[in-house]
Amino acid sequence: MKVFCVIPAFNEHKNITAVVKEIKSLVDRVVVVDDGSTDQTYNLAKAGGAMALKHIINRGQGAALRTGTEYSLANGADIIIHFDADGQFSGQDIAKITAPIKQGAAQVVYGSRFLDSRGNTAMPFFKKYFIMPLAKAVNRIFFQINLTDPQSGFRAMSAEAARQISWQQDGMAHCSEIMFEVKKNKLQVAEVPIAVVYHNFGQSFFGGLKIIKDLLIAIIVN
Amino acid sequence: MPQQAIALIIIAFFIARLYWQKKKNHIGANEFLFWLIFWLLAAGLIIFLKSIDKLVSELGFSGSGIEVLLYLSVAILFYFVFRLRLKFEKIEKDLTKIVKNIALKDK
Repeated sequence: MKVFCVIPAFNEHKNITAVVKEIKSLVDRVVVVDDGSTDQTYNLAKAGGAMALKHIINRGQGAALRTGTEYSLANGADIIIHFDADGQFSGQDIAKITAPIKQGAAQVVYGSRFLDSRGNTAMPFFKKYFIMPLAKAVNRIFFQINLTDPQSGFRAMSAEAARQISWQQDGMAHCSEIMFEVKKNKLQVAEVPIAVVYHNFGQSFFGGLKIIKDLLIAIIVN
Repeated sequence: MPQQAIALIIIAFFIARLYWQKKKNHIGANEFLFWLIFWLLAAGLIIFLKSIDKLVSELGFSGSGIEVLLYLSVAILFYFVFRLRLKFEKIEKDLTKIVKNIALKDK
C-alpha cells in the first residue's frame, strides 16, 4: 500500500529538514505544502527529498492539508497521513497509525496523546486539565463523538475515506470539521497512542474560541 | 425646520458625489441605482417626518419618527454587515481554491 505523508508548513525552516529526513524512509512519499512561507521552507523541503508544493500566499493549515491530500489522491496514495512540520510528532508512530488501515480494521486513525502516559507528560497544565477536557465534553455531549484526543493533528486515512471527507475550513477548525465529516460518513475509526514533544503551547484559549467562531460561521454560510 | 434643511443639504451633497462617481465610471450602474434610491428614500423620509411621527405613534412606538428611523437604520446596517461577512467568506474560499490550484499546477 502506498503511504503518503502530508506536512503543512509555514515558516518552518528550522525544523523541516529534520522532519522530512526522519519520515522519508518510513513512507512512500513526503508531501510538504509550504503555506506561503517567507523563509526557506519550500527549498529545504525540496532539497530534503520531499515533494514540495507551494501556496503563493498563506491560507492556513486546513487549506494546506487539503492541497496535500488532493495531490496525494491524484498521485495514487492508498493511505494519507497528516503530520506536523514543527517536529512535535514522532516518525516512530507512523507505523502504528497506519497499521489499523492496512489490517482493514479502520478507515480513519487518530493519534491520541492520552492513550498512554508517554504521550502527554509534557502537555502544558492549562491545556491538559482545562482545554482538552472541555473539547472532549463538547464533542461527547453535542456531537456524540467519543475520542480521547479530539484536537490531534496526527491522523491517517485511507484514500477512500479521504475522498469522502470534505473539509472546508482553512484554519485550525479543520480538525473538528474532519472529525464531524468522519462521523457523518460513518467511517470506521481507531485511535492509537502517540508521543508529542511540546515546543510551545500550541492552540491558545483564544485560538480555541476562533475555531468555534469559524465553525459557527461555516454553519450559517452553508 | 432647520434640522430637516441641513439633512437635505447633506443628502444633496451625497447625491452629487454619487453622480460624479458614476460620471467618472468609478461605480457601476447597479451600485449607482442602489445608492440613488437609498438617498432619495432618506430624503423622502426627512421631508415627510411629521407623517412618519404620526404613523409611528399609531403603530404604538413610544419614540418619535426619527428615533424609530434610527433604530431601523441600525438594524439594516447589521444586516449589511452580515451580508458583507458572507460575501467575505465566499471570497476567502475562492481565494483558497485559486491558491490550491496554482500549487498543484506548479509542482
